Amino acid sequence: MPTPSPARVHDFTVVSNEPMARDIYALTVRAPKLAQAIKPGQFVNIAVPGNAASLLRVPLSYAAADPAAGTIDIWYAVVGDGTRRLSQMQPGATSTLLGPGGRGWTVPEGCRRALLVAGGIGVPPVVCLARELVSAGIDFDACVGSACADTLVGPAELEELGAGEVRISTDDGSLGLAGFCTDPAAELLARGGYDYVATCGPEPMMAKVAAAAQAAGVPCEASLERMMSCGFGACNTCAVETTHGMVGACMCGPVFNAEEVVW
Amino acid sequence: MSKVSMAVDLGGIKMKNPVNTASGTFGYGWQYQNFFDVSCLGAITTKGCAAEPWPGNPKPRMTEVYGGMMNSVGLQNPGVHAFAAESGPWLEELSSKGTQVICQVAGHSTAEYVAALELFDELCPWAAGFELNVSCPNIAAGGAACGSTPEGAAEVMRACRPVTKKPLLVKMAPVRLPEIARALEAEGADGLTVINSIPGMAIDVHTRRSKISKPTGGLSGPLLHPIAVRMVWEVANAVDIPVCGVGGIMTGEDAAEFILAGATAVSVGMASFAEPDAAARILSELTAWAEEQGVNDINELIGALEC
Repeated sequence: MPTPSPARVHDFTVVSNEPMARDIYALTVRAPKLAQAIKPGQFVNIAVPGNAASLLRVPLSYAAADPAAGTIDIWYAVVGDGTRRLSQMQPGATSTLLGPGGRGWTVPEGCRRALLVAGGIGVPPVVCLARELVSAGIDFDACVGSACADTLVGPAELEELGAGEVRISTDDGSLGLAGFCTDPAAELLARGGYDYVATCGPEPMMAKVAAAAQAAGVPCEASLERMMSCGFGACNTCAVETTHGMVGACMCGPVFNAEEVVW
Repeated sequence: MSKVSMAVDLGGIKMKNPVNTASGTFGYGWQYQNFFDVSCLGAITTKGCAAEPWPGNPKPRMTEVYGGMMNSVGLQNPGVHAFAAESGPWLEELSSKGTQVICQVAGHSTAEYVAALELFDELCPWAAGFELNVSCPNIAAGGAACGSTPEGAAEVMRACRPVTKKPLLVKMAPVRLPEIARALEAEGADGLTVINSIPGMAIDVHTRRSKISKPTGGLSGPLLHPIAVRMVWEVANAVDIPVCGVGGIMTGEDAAEFILAGATAVSVGMASFAEPDAAARILSELTAWAEEQGVNDINELIGALEC
């Protein structure tokens, strides 16, 4: 029998839920057992109250877990009804979440310097990884992109964690370099010195980063997003096309070896 | 123990209680083992498998809709050989604990259904019975086409009947139900699963694209529960073989409606996605309802609709 998902259903309480950028919120929940079990790159699937006609959970990545405090930080963009209702949950509100889901980041053995490339709301799992790298004594640089300055999150946290350098880009040029974060990523990769690239963001962006990493001979992992029904391997709706066939993002991902993804 | 006997006979599949799981919403069972004791259920129905592996449809395969979801998975499956090898031991153990395992059979043509059923019959001796899925709305050939006419459905049933001595159920499309049900009964079907998902569409009006990778997909969830109850009632009135009611069961009362409309068993579907142990809760609520009705045996409530 293949291994079932490690996910369980956990009760949680909202500790705080505040806007951190335009349409992006920072949610902290208390879920002690999950905070101890979850690993960078894995996801949670949240039951958001408030609409009896909306039945499925909302799958989200997370930015940080504090096993001692029993809390998990989730940064999310309000993109639909589920995340809109989530943004209305007040401190003290309770519900359940399912997790930890899936396969997280796997930093190669002996990695000394990593390049992190994140676009839009792809930032949280990358920030989560950065914290892991710091605790493992691995240096990193980061490229963070966003549509505009108002929706940019992550550079401050990455600087604070000790990034060698953080390159910022915005599509409209309102902050940092005008354009996509793939350009500075390609430039840094060309400079050399990386043993690992981790990326999360819009799929065309990740495809470009993966191609640049491959050209530079550096292993690359990408965190993908899919519409999910269950989040634990039962429904077959979160399919990702890979070089070894269609596989579920909830069990074989969300983090994939970028060379195995058919972009 | 319940004061009411909950055991039912779904066309020769002896279930300790009427609660089953809808194929495609319960994986191969073991995906749920960490969430609840699956062996409390009367039966589970495994995701459809064909003789050869199928890759399924491109992404996106699912969109949430008001009161339910719409999918276009396209019956992705590893093939019967891999299914039996990977999931067989767990399912055999489940069966030994008294939960009947019904394996769903997928195909694009009569020959493919026969080929898959032959493999199931040989490789899955622990299976209590099989369910022919002649009604998947998301596969290009066969599927809906096979099961959408009395002639097509009867042809598949006629070819499959000699392949196994075990009970054969047929999962029906939500079209021409009474006449197709009678055709299947005449060809030796032991029971009917009513209904499969209902074809629907969901369009992103900003991009003018379907919200899934195909123009249409299969709707499921509580949005269609009243339609499914009506269809179960129509089928139960048209044939003598038992019916398993499927469609948007979220509570024991939703399941009870199917029973009163004439279903012998019920299958929990998408409720299990949001709440992995939903089927166990629904069983306990259904049992409480049967007790409250003051009967000694749940069979007294099958088709007991008064109107």
